Amino acid sequence: MEKNLEHQIDESEKLGMQIVKESEDDRLMTLSVGPQHPGSGHFRFTIKVDGDYVVHCDPDPGYVHRGEEKMCEYRSFIQNIPHLERPVIHDSANITYSYSLAVEELVGIQVPRRGQFIRAIASELDRQIYTLYWLAIYGIFLGHSTMFMWPTGDRELFIDLMDALSGARVTHAFNIPGGVRNDIPDGFKDKCLRHISYFEKRLKEYEDIFYTNPLFIQRTEGVGILTKEDAIGLGVTGSVLRASGVPYDIRKAEPYDVYNEIDFKVQYMKSGDSLARAYVPLLDMKESCHIMRQLLDKMPESGEVRAKLQPTPKGPPGEAYRRVESGRGALGYYIVSDGSPKPYRVKISVGSFRNMIALPHLLVGSKLADMPSVYWSLNYWPVEADR
Amino acid sequence: MSQDPKNKPVDSTTPSQPPPSPPAKAAAPPAKKETEVPAFEKGLVSQIISRFGDDKIKVAYIRPLRMKVNVEPLDMVEVATFIRDNLGFDHAESVTGTDYPKDNQIEVIYQLGSYSKDDIAAHILSLTTRTSRDDALLPTLINVYRSAEYHERETFEMLGVYFEGHPRNERFLLPEDWADLPPLRKEFRIRGR
Amino acid sequence: MASIIRLILWILIIVSLVGLPLIFIILFYLPLPPVNGDVLTPYLFLSMMVDPTRTLPILHFIIHTDLFKVAVFPGFAFAALLAAVTIFVERKFLAKMQLRIGPLYCGKIEGILQLLADGLKLIAKEIIIPSGADKPIFWAAPIAFVATAAAVVALIPVAPGWVVANVNVGIIAVFAILGFFPLIALLFSWASNSKYPFIGGLRALHQMIAFEIPFFLSALSVVILSGSLNLTDIAKAQHPYWYIFFLPISAFVFFISSLAELERIPFDLPEAESEIVAGWLTETSGMIFGLIQLGSYVKVYALSALFVVLFLGGWAGPQIFPKELAHGPTAGLMGLLTLQGVYNGVTVNAIFWFTVKTFGIIMLMLLPRGISPRIRIDILLHTGWYKLIVLTFINMFIALALIYGGILGPGGLLTAH
Repeated sequence: MEKNLEHQIDESEKLGMQIVKESEDDRLMTLSVGPQHPGSGHFRFTIKVDGDYVVHCDPDPGYVHRGEEKMCEYRSFIQNIPHLERPVIHDSANITYSYSLAVEELVGIQVPRRGQFIRAIASELDRQIYTLYWLAIYGIFLGHSTMFMWPTGDRELFIDLMDALSGARVTHAFNIPGGVRNDIPDGFKDKCLRHISYFEKRLKEYEDIFYTNPLFIQRTEGVGILTKEDAIGLGVTGSVLRASGVPYDIRKAEPYDVYNEIDFKVQYMKSGDSLARAYVPLLDMKESCHIMRQLLDKMPESGEVRAKLQPTPKGPPGEAYRRVESGRGALGYYIVSDGSPKPYRVKISVGSFRNMIALPHLLVGSKLADMPSVYWSLNYWPVEADR
Repeated sequence: MSQDPKNKPVDSTTPSQPPPSPPAKAAAPPAKKETEVPAFEKGLVSQIISRFGDDKIKVAYIRPLRMKVNVEPLDMVEVATFIRDNLGFDHAESVTGTDYPKDNQIEVIYQLGSYSKDDIAAHILSLTTRTSRDDALLPTLINVYRSAEYHERETFEMLGVYFEGHPRNERFLLPEDWADLPPLRKEFRIRGR
Repeated sequence: MASIIRLILWILIIVSLVGLPLIFIILFYLPLPPVNGDVLTPYLFLSMMVDPTRTLPILHFIIHTDLFKVAVFPGFAFAALLAAVTIFVERKFLAKMQLRIGPLYCGKIEGILQLLADGLKLIAKEIIIPSGADKPIFWAAPIAFVATAAAVVALIPVAPGWVVANVNVGIIAVFAILGFFPLIALLFSWASNSKYPFIGGLRALHQMIAFEIPFFLSALSVVILSGSLNLTDIAKAQHPYWYIFFLPISAFVFFISSLAELERIPFDLPEAESEIVAGWLTETSGMIFGLIQLGSYVKVYALSALFVVLFLGGWAGPQIFPKELAHGPTAGLMGLLTLQGVYNGVTVNAIFWFTVKTFGIIMLMLLPRGISPRIRIDILLHTGWYKLIVLTFINMFIALALIYGGILGPGGLLTAH
């Protein structure tokens, strides 16, 4: 048994890998906030602590790495959709949206207008689903179990709507290159509006009950401050970027599909601490409700929802890079095609992976007790970062 | 403004063509000539060309909101510094590597974006370089773009491209006991396919 | 139908083969009281099957033995029962606050038997001891935890005359026993031989020690007002006005400190799930976990009962039970039905009010779990060492002013005569 382990360690060291090594300095304790930890999701990061202060932090993703990018090269453009949405199962309408946009550019498909609207509605619904789940887990990380239960309960409203739309609660496989798979069912619009009005009242309650709680504020205010220059230099994205004072939202900066017809404001805050990073998703959710109302209003009454395609569409050799604003931030797809029905290379640029670099930057020098508040406020979804 | 997928300008670098690629304005093998190259993006690229010269900078394509520029590995740091300081692209969105076994090369492409300047907020400038597959060695750009740190590390482990100057060219996402080829190389086949 | 017959068969077998011999064995060895002038022999005892009125003196005798007081009431079984009810009510109460239902399926009505199911599950689980753990301490610590909690329960008077240990320095004894808990937490976390329990144990130590001082300083104000350290006397001295009216700040500080002692949210750092897995409880599994949970909730009962005795007048309350069920001594069947000699209206009333008040305080302690996140360690220590101590001093001065101002204390305006 011992010999086997030594052999494995040698092999890995040959590849230039470093297993978590205990520190030689007696005062530092090495903690592995590992993949099997109620405080980290499926993500390991090692921290060395000196008393209560973190001295060194080393993220080590890859626990749920499935080789999404490699798998894309073996399936045709449409066949890629079901496995591509697995990295974020409940935000699947966004991660496949970006892929569909890139494939449409490569192959040369024009999406019908009603399909574009339905795609945008699904994207907003999924954004709510993801952000509510993120908020729930943030509550757990801070020890507030009611802050877990209420958002998870309200999330059911939107999951119900997505269930009606696509037939699945999560991993909807709803977007495909060319539009959406099926049209919306009857009565969907009224149900959606009812849910949105109820939810807007609930959002007000969240703000009053959770965000004004003095203990919550004590634990998140002034903790893990990310300055604007650092945020830009580190290339973070999404709510983390907007909480540091940069009002950048891809739906406004580079509007795709019908977002240039929707009137909404980019929500951002200037302080850059954990409280701001917790506030911005809440404001985003409020804004998302406005967007959904406008989308439901402006949607054409009838029409096709998907472009007619061959089963295995292919386009001329080329490449495309399209991005979408998902719950975590800018989700970009870089697809290279060589003229065959299968993509030559697919690279997914996810918000979580880009935000990971802020973790060592913020944790080093802060207290161990602040670790959950800083870590989860970076809007990091471990499965998506691993792809 | 939304991207019109029908408007596909000419690519002068395709995976099946032999390297190096001719400049964009030349009428090399493209089949049809589409609408003209967009002016604003052309202006950005010509700033780079005027600084470094036509021989060092090869333009792969210029489309609305997307530009791709190819440089030699030795010039990467200089060009990247110029792009960051003068053009205003302040962060690297992602770093990708693509394996082209037919050309025996690996192309590493940096997608650069801008948060601070409003007029290029939607633009992505792709800075690419090519290196040979057998001895893949590139200078690191983390001193220019801090955000490229983890992306370069992932490119190392997935494609085997060594980034000189990067503090940790190590396994990142793959399991600790990975003892196989870098997975994104074309000769690595997924089992069963 | 067949199962009912089988059930009756088994009951008959067990009663006749096990129960009756057991009764005989006990009867031959227990010292029995004289009944109506006769010595109670086992045969006389069995004659109660014919004449039920003979059971009452025996019942009276049993209730006043020491064993009954320690094991059943007001001792361990009563505390454990209240702890079990607390656990169930907590789960239901918390669930209603969080817009869900809580245990539902065990037992016909709203999941009443859930605790039984959990207890059976814990007994059946494997106890995993980490390698390198200090086995004697690993086994001893949970038992010590429950024992210490039970020791605190032993000192608290439930009704006048009903206390397991009537110690003249009752309050000091309570705090001395409470001082064991950080030690147990630290020993157990050290014996677990793992990093996360180690951090959790240190945090438990810091937290409990930091809050012990405000704890007994707030109790000190009560002692000043009542003039005695004996818990029964303190409860009696709160007639007619309860101390909470004079010492609200002390009551508040006492409540907060007991939340910290009990490691309840918002003070559950030592078991902070998201940071240090389960803190010093990480390596507990199976019955060890069950024992620690039991001890934890017995402690909840003990500290709430202490709060009631110190600030809420103990068992004081309007007499809603009749003092006697029958006028004058009765004999025969009526004597049996009116529990002649056993029923004491004052005691029953006292027990009733005590339980109601304790339960109210327990519900108040359960409340922060649904409305508050966890506090951070530096804020916790800051609160315990600075703010709460200052508040207790303020209230001590109020207490002293009340005594010397002649309002309370001997010969005061508001003292009952």
